Amino acid sequence: MKKAVWEQPGSLAEAFWKNGIADIPIYDMHGHMGSHNAIYFARCEAPEMVAHLRRIGVRRLVFSHHYSLMGSFRNQRVHAITARFPDILRMYVSISPHQTDFIAEDLEQFDSMTPLAIGFKFLPDYHKVKVTDPRYEPVLNFASERRLPILVHTWGGSPYDGPDVMLEAATRYPQVTFFMAHSFSGDLPGAKRVADACPNVYFELTSLPGQHTIIERLCADIGSHRLLFGTDMPWFDEYQHVGGILSADISEDDKHNILYRNVEKLLGKDW
Amino acid sequence: MKDFAFFDAQCAIGAPILGNARGGETAAGLLAEMDRNGVDKALVAHANTEAAGAIFANENLLELIRADDVDNRLTGVWTILPAQCGELPPPDEFFAQMAANRVGALNLFPVAHRWQACRLTIGRLMDAAAERRIPVFLGQRIMDGGWRGVFDFMRTFPAATVIINGVSLWGPDRNIRPLLENFPGCHVELSEYWVPEGIADLARLYGAERLLYGSGYPRFGHGSTMLSIRHSGLPLEQVRLIASQNLERLLAQAQLV
Ligand SMILES: [Zn+2]
Repeated sequence: MKKAVWEQPGSLAEAFWKNGIADIPIYDMHGHMGSHNAIYFARCEAPEMVAHLRRIGVRRLVFSHHYSLMGSFRNQRVHAITARFPDILRMYVSISPHQTDFIAEDLEQFDSMTPLAIGFKFLPDYHKVKVTDPRYEPVLNFASERRLPILVHTWGGSPYDGPDVMLEAATRYPQVTFFMAHSFSGDLPGAKRVADACPNVYFELTSLPGQHTIIERLCADIGSHRLLFGTDMPWFDEYQHVGGILSADISEDDKHNILYRNVEKLLGKDW
Repeated sequence: MKDFAFFDAQCAIGAPILGNARGGETAAGLLAEMDRNGVDKALVAHANTEAAGAIFANENLLELIRADDVDNRLTGVWTILPAQCGELPPPDEFFAQMAANRVGALNLFPVAHRWQACRLTIGRLMDAAAERRIPVFLGQRIMDGGWRGVFDFMRTFPAATVIINGVSLWGPDRNIRPLLENFPGCHVELSEYWVPEGIADLARLYGAERLLYGSGYPRFGHGSTMLSIRHSGLPLEQVRLIASQNLERLLAQAQLV
């Protein structure tokens, strides 16, 4: 039998297989925290999450708190949690378009949450509000002025955050760096359309690594230089998702791009 | 691979009615992906059983395996139907045919094939399968009522040797833990179990011998769950159980003839 992907000498896959960690940083650009209505998470609070992240060598996890996205937990409280693990945790300020008073407060207080807060998180499919709705405008304008990233949950076919809506938003706000969470959940033609039209867009991979051939097709159609690693942690195991990147039939360079190089090009090494 | 043997408990070959097999139409496609990832053996079902039916799938699966599996790395999974229509031979004969054709486990698709999975339809077959410890795949995606159907099945056939598959990517602990706790014959294949540190948690709670490596091919690839098992944090002897030895044991203890 030919040598397996895990046995290729000097490869990232070999290093992770043997040691569970490699001589590279991993940037996980899509995490959460806190319990969930429909899922039991044994490890959804910061200390347990951080222990898991350290095992595989995640250098930064950028997260938005479930309670802020789904409930009324304020972003300042998330900031206090993030500040307990400043060497590894960063946060997105969670935005609910239904809470205009919260949005005003968050924008006013944003500076007090930097540098641990690096941008914003939108969850349009859950809030049932299109990204192009005026209720998101204050945040989009704020992010545009400061050239901040926004992680947007995206899903193929969604009227709230599908390719058509995101194409419109990313074209209207060229100064905002959009991270398309889930890369439209594998709607490759849709993702490619947005990628071709909007250079300010990156594609985040949560839930895709492990799905047969999808990482290969994203690399071929969009290019590994536009892909960002993420896990929805505490939803998905870091080893499972990293394993999906490492075992994909793509080049060693592609794997480096996805796991850390693209993020370091975008945000630097010191953030 | 040299340091760990992997035996895939969850994969399928054959052309699905909606396409998208991505190489899994043939056993050669599956074997090539197994080689690329370092998977030694696989327990393989037909990917189009729901649409094409048990009769076609059981036969075609053997044809596909025979066409490409020169080293006997693949073991088949056959689909059962209710007894009353005589579509499959009586249990003893059916099991003997399984043994003769290198088929090691059973599955069922009661919703797609429009029958009731209960004692009235498969009581005799399931009692015999339980007694002979023949593994049966069971999952929320194929049962009427989803997890409720899985729970009903286990209450009806509590002594069955079962492999719960397709647990869904949304952490399924609220459903799989009660099954593992109450039914000693219940095992879980891990292709869709992506919970952080969850494999180690399940092993500590219910025993590593209850967990099986599965790829979920062709929907999923082989490598991601290999790495999450390899680095589950469990002692290596437990990793080896999950990677291959548990499935070897389940198939070896089944008394087909
Ligand atoms: Zn998310």
